[in-house]
Amino acid sequence: MAFPILTSILLCPVIGLFLILLVPRRLENLIRLIALTAASGTLALAVRLCFAFDPSNPALQFMEHVEWIKSYGIHYSNGVDGLNLTMILLTAIVIFCGVLVSWTVTYRVKDFFANMLFLVSGVFGVFMTTNLFFFFLFYEIAVIPMYLLIVVWGSTNKQYAAMKLTLYLLLGSALMFAGFLYIYALPGAHTFDLTAIKQNVAFPFDVQKILYLTLFLGFGVLAACFPFHVWSPDGHVAAPTAASMLHAGVLMKLGAYGILRVGVHLLPEGARAWAPLVASLALCNIVYGALVASKQRDLKFVIGYSSVSHMGIVLLGISTMTTTGFNGAIFQMFAHGIMTALFFACVGFIYDNCHTRMLDELGGLARQAPMISSFFILAGLCGLGLPGMGGFVAELLVTIAAVSVYPVIGIASITGLLITAYYVLTAVQKAFYGPLNPHHAHVADTNPLQFFPRAVLVGCLIFFGVFPQVFINWISTSTKMLLGA
Amino acid sequence: MNLLLFLPETWVLITVVFLLGVILFTKENLSSILYPSVFLSAIILVLLSSYALFSSGELFYSTYRIDLLSQGFKWILSLCFLFTILFSRRLVSIHPEREAEYFFFLCTATLGMMMLTSAMDVLTLYISLELSSYSLYLLASLRESKINAESSVKYLVFGAAASGLLLWGLSLITGLSGSTFFSVISKDVPLLMEQPAFALGMVLASLAFFFKLSSFPMHFWAPDVYECAATPVTSFVATASKAAAVAVLIRFFILLGISQSFVVILGVIAFVSMTLGNAIALLQQDVKRLLAYSSIAQAGYILVGLLAGSFEGYSSSFFYAFSYVLMNAGAFLVTVLIAQSERHDNPGLVHFDGLAERSPFLALILLLSLLSLAGIPPLIGFTGKWILFAAAMDKGHWFLVLWGVLNSVVSLFYYLTLVKHAYLEKPRTSAPIPLPLPIKILGLALFCGIVFLGIYPKWVISFAQTAISKAMLL
Repeated sequence: MAFPILTSILLCPVIGLFLILLVPRRLENLIRLIALTAASGTLALAVRLCFAFDPSNPALQFMEHVEWIKSYGIHYSNGVDGLNLTMILLTAIVIFCGVLVSWTVTYRVKDFFANMLFLVSGVFGVFMTTNLFFFFLFYEIAVIPMYLLIVVWGSTNKQYAAMKLTLYLLLGSALMFAGFLYIYALPGAHTFDLTAIKQNVAFPFDVQKILYLTLFLGFGVLAACFPFHVWSPDGHVAAPTAASMLHAGVLMKLGAYGILRVGVHLLPEGARAWAPLVASLALCNIVYGALVASKQRDLKFVIGYSSVSHMGIVLLGISTMTTTGFNGAIFQMFAHGIMTALFFACVGFIYDNCHTRMLDELGGLARQAPMISSFFILAGLCGLGLPGMGGFVAELLVTIAAVSVYPVIGIASITGLLITAYYVLTAVQKAFYGPLNPHHAHVADTNPLQFFPRAVLVGCLIFFGVFPQVFINWISTSTKMLLGA
Repeated sequence: MNLLLFLPETWVLITVVFLLGVILFTKENLSSILYPSVFLSAIILVLLSSYALFSSGELFYSTYRIDLLSQGFKWILSLCFLFTILFSRRLVSIHPEREAEYFFFLCTATLGMMMLTSAMDVLTLYISLELSSYSLYLLASLRESKINAESSVKYLVFGAAASGLLLWGLSLITGLSGSTFFSVISKDVPLLMEQPAFALGMVLASLAFFFKLSSFPMHFWAPDVYECAATPVTSFVATASKAAAVAVLIRFFILLGISQSFVVILGVIAFVSMTLGNAIALLQQDVKRLLAYSSIAQAGYILVGLLAGSFEGYSSSFFYAFSYVLMNAGAFLVTVLIAQSERHDNPGLVHFDGLAERSPFLALILLLSLLSLAGIPPLIGFTGKWILFAAAMDKGHWFLVLWGVLNSVVSLFYYLTLVKHAYLEKPRTSAPIPLPLPIKILGLALFCGIVFLGIYPKWVISFAQTAISKAMLL
């Protein structure tokens, strides 16, 4: 049997978690080191996976299969194609940087890192599994530690935000739960295995329509789709820095990934039937999110709403049901993941040092802390789609696809990009230029430890912006498969 | 006739006789040897039930059936008994002079429930149900306080009404088929199914079982009794009594079948039970009352599985009953210890404040049990709910499933509220909670059970499936 690289990626954080639980809580540096080792391990394995991956093969690769509960068709089975390969890489990068960024956490260190590792185990699990039971299991594992991370280490109205986030996400997962069981009960199914379901079950059109809507709403909550996005800015703002990074960077992608992997993959006709609705909701996301973001005074809220807006681009790409649109959507998931992680990492640094995130109370930080300012500005430029950054390619692909499929919505979505440019530049101008607030005269720039993780994120953004072909090459075979082309 | 088949019950009988002797012949306080001997007896009971787990046969002229279903539930019941004995190490609200009586009725209740799981005859069923019920009425009223007078009377009156309904229902069923043997009745079922009187008999008899399960419309006693009984008694009612109710419902439905119209009634009952339990639980301040409403909601979930009426439905109900016992025992373990350390047998939410600092281990047990009750993976309650609802979905009850899952989300709100008190509030006293060794072992065992059986439930599920398939072969 080949080396089970996927399970190893999953086991790294799990083993790290158990080691951390065994270490006495006063050995804080040891705990941090264990977390870092686990995160580096996953990153190394994920990079190795990317090199070993064969982009021309449309089937799932590195399959692993262990029978779990046979009578219910529940198997522990994993596999990657272009779709989840990129998501696994994204998660590995974000958790690696997240652990480094959280080096400065001092309150209940043990519990903090245990929760972080528990959360990413869930995320990795969702991205690699091909069984609906484990999909759901890992999905919820990724949600519950978030509650604890926000409620214990968070700020700004944290109890409210944490409860709201948890209940919203579980409401979404309740719909998923019902949808998955419905699939299980369809004639010919009686299994939770995705590949077996795809092969054996003929979904009538009516069923596809209802089921896709249910699943879309369920996943849409986590992907912050328009009327269900309200948990997300509150949650982002209340969460501690690393949790915000993971949350906006990775967790929201679980929703979009679920729509593609389960919704579009199993129910293509249902997806087509609802695509116009999805596109309209995505437009609301893009424009409404951007408008609200432009009115915020709290820097973290600006980014929180910008995430809503950017997730709209992902949804718009999915709604086009074309290869270009899908490629753009997946690219946007990746680029947005890295970008938001960078945003939150910078805001976290600013908040730790200036003890405020209000745009009016900041100002002139560019002279005081040039490195962190330029990181933030780079993330901002990526957000507004500057050529040469990852975000540009993604938004370009999605817009091309959208304009050709839904001309009105596609063109209207471009206004969202304009508003994005407006609020990003305003935020940058208010926070980093203009007169320096004398309260912040003592603020020093990043030390190497703080510099490194943020630089890694910037490096990824630029690398994939300059060489988008690497990324497109990974995913294009799989997106073609997804569309049945 | 092989009396070895009757081994666990015999052992309980021996303990009962011993306790009767203690009550009759000793005047002085015997608690120094009383507790250890009962504890020992409970451990022996668990061992004997494990020994008898795979035996099968029939006793007493086929009125008493020993099969994997009954033995599995007897094993669960013996565990519940052991848990309750462990929780009774320091009784907060029962007078030391009453201790012997307390253990006596605990044993008779266990005996009744064990017999209930094996009953294959209308009279056996009725007698064992009454044996367990009357013991529970007395146990609930043993608490040394005025406040439980109302609840005990309520319990007794409602219980008597329920057993009246049972008697009426069973007499209809028996009268129509002309036999008191379930094996004979079940052969007549295809003919009787369409008769209104038979349907009425089924409904009335089931209502009496719903009383034990504390599901709507027979749930009124639960909040008061949970609140006003001594905490170990509450935990016994919440674990053993529920398991016995599921056992008898499975047996009853397997033998007598569920007609289409009865499924509709069960569906309504499950729907209301889930909704009502969860909605009212949101408002509770007293933890035992909160757990009572949560048990009403959980009864609704179990009914969703039972009404599927299929092999998967019954086996997943069996699995869920087992998981329910584990997670409820976890929640009550913490509640009992808090009641003991506060010397107050009605812990409210505020008594849980800062539990994570006073005892991280207890806080962890509480967290896992409550999340498991809410159905959060990878815990056993999640797996149980998943297969329970899969069975119901298989029979097309998509609405109940959707409603059940939405209800789980609502339930998370009040479970998380309790968790929040344990983890986030400042403790009122910083005194650590002492954990005796047996409690530590129990906590660890529950922890392992809740986590590992949630992740890898294969053995338990296949046990439940074998048990149901054997019970379905008459």
